Amino acid sequence: MSTPGISILDGKYMVTMDLWPQQSKEFNQIHLFYEYLKEGRFTTTKCKDCGSEPFPPRVMCPDCYSVNLEWVDWPTIGTVIDVTEEAVGVPLGFGKPPLVHALVDLDGKKTFFVRIINCKTGELKSGDKVKLAVFDVDPVPQEFGREVVEMPRVFYAFEPVK
Amino acid sequence: MDRNVCVIAGGMSKWGVRDGSQRDFFQEAAKACYDDNPQLNPKEIDGLLVASAYTERTSYQTHLAPLVAEYAGIKPKNICARVELLCASGSSAIILAFAMIKSGQADVVMVAGGEKLYTPQKWEVFYSELASVDHDWDGGQGLGLPPPVFAMVAKQHMAQYGTKKEHLGVVSVKNRRNSAKNPKAQFQTEVTMEEVMSGRMIVPPLTLYDCCPITDGAACIVLAVEEKAKQMTDKPLVYIRGTAQASVNNMSANMPNWTTWEALKIAAQQAYSKSKVDPKEVNVAMTHDCFTISEIIEMEDLGFCKKGEGGFFVADGQNDFGGQVPTNTDGGLLGCGHPFGGTGIRQGMEVTRQLRGDAIQQVPNATIGLTHNLSGFIAAHTVLIYGREVA
Ligand SMILES: [Zn+2]
Repeated sequence: MSTPGISILDGKYMVTMDLWPQQSKEFNQIHLFYEYLKEGRFTTTKCKDCGSEPFPPRVMCPDCYSVNLEWVDWPTIGTVIDVTEEAVGVPLGFGKPPLVHALVDLDGKKTFFVRIINCKTGELKSGDKVKLAVFDVDPVPQEFGREVVEMPRVFYAFEPVK
Repeated sequence: MDRNVCVIAGGMSKWGVRDGSQRDFFQEAAKACYDDNPQLNPKEIDGLLVASAYTERTSYQTHLAPLVAEYAGIKPKNICARVELLCASGSSAIILAFAMIKSGQADVVMVAGGEKLYTPQKWEVFYSELASVDHDWDGGQGLGLPPPVFAMVAKQHMAQYGTKKEHLGVVSVKNRRNSAKNPKAQFQTEVTMEEVMSGRMIVPPLTLYDCCPITDGAACIVLAVEEKAKQMTDKPLVYIRGTAQASVNNMSANMPNWTTWEALKIAAQQAYSKSKVDPKEVNVAMTHDCFTISEIIEMEDLGFCKKGEGGFFVADGQNDFGGQVPTNTDGGLLGCGHPFGGTGIRQGMEVTRQLRGDAIQQVPNATIGLTHNLSGFIAAHTVLIYGREVA
């Protein structure tokens, strides 16, 4: 694992260069989102006091400022409003062009602008259904005392319902 | 007694794919700023605000303001700090400098902004953009680089209002024509409508000339309280009349509307009201043309034309010389480039020149000028209004 130009960083993990969020409980209080994601569930926090369901998940309700929150499941199937296909400038870590995104109505909960995977150029159209797709991403080598433990991680996109 | 705030000097480094480092460009910008007003004694500058978004990522440097002060040869005694709001960092710093002078916390404040974005391996700047949106949510969707976002905005605007690809093209042709006359701009050549329409596809419907480039460079402006400004320049005084900045969402899932930018309407309304200016009274504007579609929507949400008519407004020449509100007269982001922290300062400089009457391409008798930035995932909007008279 050499890092050209910076020999002292050989084998070292750099949080500042990490594409994906930290998902362990030591580094993220909403780590349950990722635990549920591993089960194929798309969740957020609901406020037990005012009923608000903000996304992303929170530790404080942004509407009534309560910290009395619970996890709720959201739909995992949505309807495509419109599609973009990025031909040039796809960032590292997102595969070969095109990088497909769609504006997706998640059953009235929110309108998400999300990455669509397992989808060919021109395949996806307005009105099509897409579903949650969860995939593994690089684990984080996290220090626990003198031990370094590989902490598994996942992330999500959506994919066409076939 | 009210303390009024004037712009007394402005200058920028050459912008583009530059040889050199961030600190080199800040020195070049300071030099250009001092040369713009030989009556200004830099030793009298008592505050410095530095605008830079990527200094930690692409120059590995925090605590930037004292570094810039040392290199610019100034010793601030009232404020010396950095301000960051990505693409609107420069305008944010001008707002804060204005407020400090207005409130008596400083008298003469330099606002310097810029970036060294190109790294020895170019992938790093694109990769770093994943930190410009909500990293944990939108970044993970590969939305750091903005073309997909603005392609979706363009598609939606076209579907809702009949905006055409040719309307987008008019903006590129105009702003590249303007930048070709601005020696500091990244792009020194004009483009034709034919070239624009057949440009390389980036994200349909956006092609190469619909997108602003990645840019190295810096810019500086100096603000002073009116009494000192009168002693420090013989040029006509340009006042900051009013400012506003609004944000109603950050993550894409919380965008209230993709084609009407609510935060822009709020910021514009606040700035117009504080400045006692009606949109129809604005003689010249620098708006955030990060993409051609942005300038079109900005014409609408700044109140220069009716909602949905932005494409037709630009195609009719209404935001070009001779029209209602000549826009991006120095080339804008599409022509000058966009070193994030530098852009708002470049806009303030060009509006100052337009109002002083010494712009490279002058709008005749301009007395009210406006600047606008958007930043992040269209997540914040910043509007400043300048004038030959106070509000
Ligand atoms: Zn609540």
